[in-house]
Amino acid sequence: MAFAIEFFLRRLSQGLLIVLLVAFVIFTLLRVAPGDPIRIILGPMATATAMEETAQKLGLRDPIPVQFGRFVLDVAQGDFGRSFIRGKQGGASGGSQDGAMDMADRAPVMGLIATALPYTLLLAGLGLVFSFLIAVPIGLAAGLNAGRWQQKLGLYVSSLFVSLPNIWVGVVLIYLLSAKSGLLPAIGYRNFAYAIIPAIVVAVEMSPVLIRAIAVSIASNVQEAYFDIGQVRGIGRNRMIYRHVLRNAAVPLLNVFGAQMIGMLLGGLFVVEYIFSFPGIGLLTINAVFQRDFPIIQAVAILASAVLVLINILVDFASTTIDRRLKF
Amino acid sequence: MAAEPLVRVDNLSVTLAGRGGQGGTRPVLSDISFDVAPRSVLGIIGESGSGKTVLSNALVNWVQAPLNIASGHIFYGGRDLLALPETEMAKLRGREIAYIGANPTVALDPTVPVGRQIVEKLMEVEPGIARAAARRRVIETLDAVRIPSAGRRFDEYPFQFSGGMMQRAMIVDALVSNPKLLVADNITQPLDVTVAAQIIRLLRDLQNDFETAVVFISSALGVVSDIADDVLVINAGRIVERQPAGALTRAPEHAYTRALIEKVPRLWTGAQTPAASHAADVVLEVRDVERTYVVPDRTTLFGENRVRAVRGVSFDVRRGESFGLIGESGCGKSTLSRLLSSIEPPDKGAIRVGGQDIAGLRGKPLLEMRRRFQLLLQDPYNAIAAHASIGRTIEEPLRIHGLASGAALKARVRDVMAEVGLPADLYDSLPVGLSAGQRQRVNIARALALEPSLMILDETLSALDQVEQARLLALFETLQQKHGITYLYISHDLAMVRRVCARIGVMYLGRIVELADNAAIFENPRHPYTRALLSSVLTVEPKPFLPETYLLEGEPPDPIHIPQGCSFRSRCPFAFDRCAREDPALVFDGAGAAAACHLADGQLPQAAPLIAAGGHPIPPAN
Repeated sequence: MAFAIEFFLRRLSQGLLIVLLVAFVIFTLLRVAPGDPIRIILGPMATATAMEETAQKLGLRDPIPVQFGRFVLDVAQGDFGRSFIRGKQGGASGGSQDGAMDMADRAPVMGLIATALPYTLLLAGLGLVFSFLIAVPIGLAAGLNAGRWQQKLGLYVSSLFVSLPNIWVGVVLIYLLSAKSGLLPAIGYRNFAYAIIPAIVVAVEMSPVLIRAIAVSIASNVQEAYFDIGQVRGIGRNRMIYRHVLRNAAVPLLNVFGAQMIGMLLGGLFVVEYIFSFPGIGLLTINAVFQRDFPIIQAVAILASAVLVLINILVDFASTTIDRRLKF
Repeated sequence: MAAEPLVRVDNLSVTLAGRGGQGGTRPVLSDISFDVAPRSVLGIIGESGSGKTVLSNALVNWVQAPLNIASGHIFYGGRDLLALPETEMAKLRGREIAYIGANPTVALDPTVPVGRQIVEKLMEVEPGIARAAARRRVIETLDAVRIPSAGRRFDEYPFQFSGGMMQRAMIVDALVSNPKLLVADNITQPLDVTVAAQIIRLLRDLQNDFETAVVFISSALGVVSDIADDVLVINAGRIVERQPAGALTRAPEHAYTRALIEKVPRLWTGAQTPAASHAADVVLEVRDVERTYVVPDRTTLFGENRVRAVRGVSFDVRRGESFGLIGESGCGKSTLSRLLSSIEPPDKGAIRVGGQDIAGLRGKPLLEMRRRFQLLLQDPYNAIAAHASIGRTIEEPLRIHGLASGAALKARVRDVMAEVGLPADLYDSLPVGLSAGQRQRVNIARALALEPSLMILDETLSALDQVEQARLLALFETLQQKHGITYLYISHDLAMVRRVCARIGVMYLGRIVELADNAAIFENPRHPYTRALLSSVLTVEPKPFLPETYLLEGEPPDPIHIPQGCSFRSRCPFAFDRCAREDPALVFDGAGAAAACHLADGQLPQAAPLIAAGGHPIPPAN
């Protein structure tokens, strides 16, 4: 118990520091990047005085650390600011030409993210389920049968999948499953069926990493002395696999999951959501990038880093619980 | 054999297939036939590479490719094990035929508590048993092998067990199902002498209680002759001799057996010892060195444990002498070697080389100093980069220190290679394929290239077989005579220390408890711990210190919870009340010998006379 409390106290405080650091870097980069956000807010026709007035009002002329401090205080209260572009009712209201603008009728970033998040979670969850459905049987068979055809199958499947660009897979699947055969819908989102093809694309991208990780960690455990000795001690092979090998193989697998797959998933979702016009966080962010809607970009980036840090803390906790030799 | 044998091995031959099925096969075991009587202990002895381990695996029908059973039978209860279908064999394994291997630390799943895994095995081989009953029986058996506080240890993980404790747990695992046959393959090999002696005694007691027949396989003649009724000698895959244990050491019949007995190093009768050196100046001066590690404690919030690895060690090493440090694992030997080679600084104290304290050195002066002393470790495999040629590896220190370049560099490398006995044509080849002994020679050459004045040999020869060990010892001696190098041997191998070290320090729990010349340590030790170490050596000669008087129970306390007063008192058979109050200091006598013990000279029992085996020493007056 003491261990768990200390673990989370220590890791959460470290994690907070990391997220703050990441936030500062993102915040600064967006402000030193070329392109004046005021010009985006007010549109090309705004006068110099109106621009200066709005900049003062939004605090964009203060030193960056001061702006950052203000931003962090707001975030701590759950306020990620407001979109530069999107109106409260949806739709872009940027470029209104009537002099100074009123930020109050722009949509709050938090609200935009909250609307998009469930779609992204659905897609990510379904994508993970599909990739586990593909990778667990193939990876397990490959790991338990090193040197036999199952291992080759694992290698070939993962090599094939890793060399397919997800954009191409997306387009081909849309053509085959949707446009040609009409089995599944593909563009936008109206019901659950709309998530299936994008989830398959996500799974094709993720499963090679997973197949490799499962095969390698299972195979290395099967080679450990305790596996053979266990059978000489009188414990059946299946029980050794089921009770010991699977359990111990989970540790490196969890680490691959935390360190690699979540990052891949976040990156993959951006592309996949864009291809399929899937109304999740990825689409929201990509549109924000095209429109230079900085508040959305920075909020998504900071939240993504927080999610990554949090998942890694959980993964490490699970690992130390399984294998007590690990330290944190 | 009077009774019907339990196991009958009949003309067993095992072959090793050539690489990739090419190049034919090589015999590993040839025409092995022997019986094992119920409730007897059969010892099997052979050198490394004689096929012992393959034989032990064959007895549990666990011979795997590229090994292959070419012919023969192993009859157990009227059935041929080698012809049994795997499902039938699996029913016998663990239940009637148990096996314990040489490396207990990797035998169990590292992530599951030890007790749970033994229960798992028991429930697998005795399907009817209830979990609670299984748990009770495991704890009882853990008690029987004298694992302290068995109930608590039940829930601890394999990495929390020392090697000796783990081997006890494996004995429990083997015996908990009351097997009829136990195959013990080299089970004392990785253990300290004190612990190995305990394990042997324990196994002998248990074998009586459990009425199990034991096949005890080992490469140490002293160990086998101590435990076995009958001993079988095996050489290059063939049985050369079988005799009762006592008769074998007294009157070996086969020339190979005689050679084997000849090779066992002697510590007392006719021991080779180095000449004591008193002349030269002090080259290494260690004063009150301490090192404590802080490790997190999982059981309390932000808790820390302080591991006191080295607690105030002082000694001098004189130029051109060989100094030995001995002690059980965990006594701080290796931490000390890290401090002496300035891999890490001591928390307190001074380490002076030629008068200069190396503890505070940084940067260039440290590099200069390092040139003068070199560290050689136990594992010759990981100490050499696999991708660099041997010449390149030996050159590296010369380049780092900028001592030679171009043709001079090559010439220097060839010189040292010749000196350590490496053929010159290895210069451009990679270390792959070199034997452990040759690899260790590369390490020695690399160290020697810098012409060091002090070499720290931390278990340098422990991984080598006896023949190679003897050759390298001879090499060290030659180098010492030629270059006046000083050696600091850190080892648990008492026979080797007896042979080469003029002065010896005995370490216990991070301290030197006795420091004296070779003869004084081995013939008239004044600390009970030194005597305990000597009593637990398994040899083929009579010993002056008998296990009955000195054998230690258990293992050293962990260096987090060091007993008050004398740290050895928790295991000392002679401890009295003063030992709990006062920590004895290391007091030197006139002859330069010192022991940290409250028992004055003469209060310890007399050494047993070396010829007679009968006379038991008198217990102390206290």
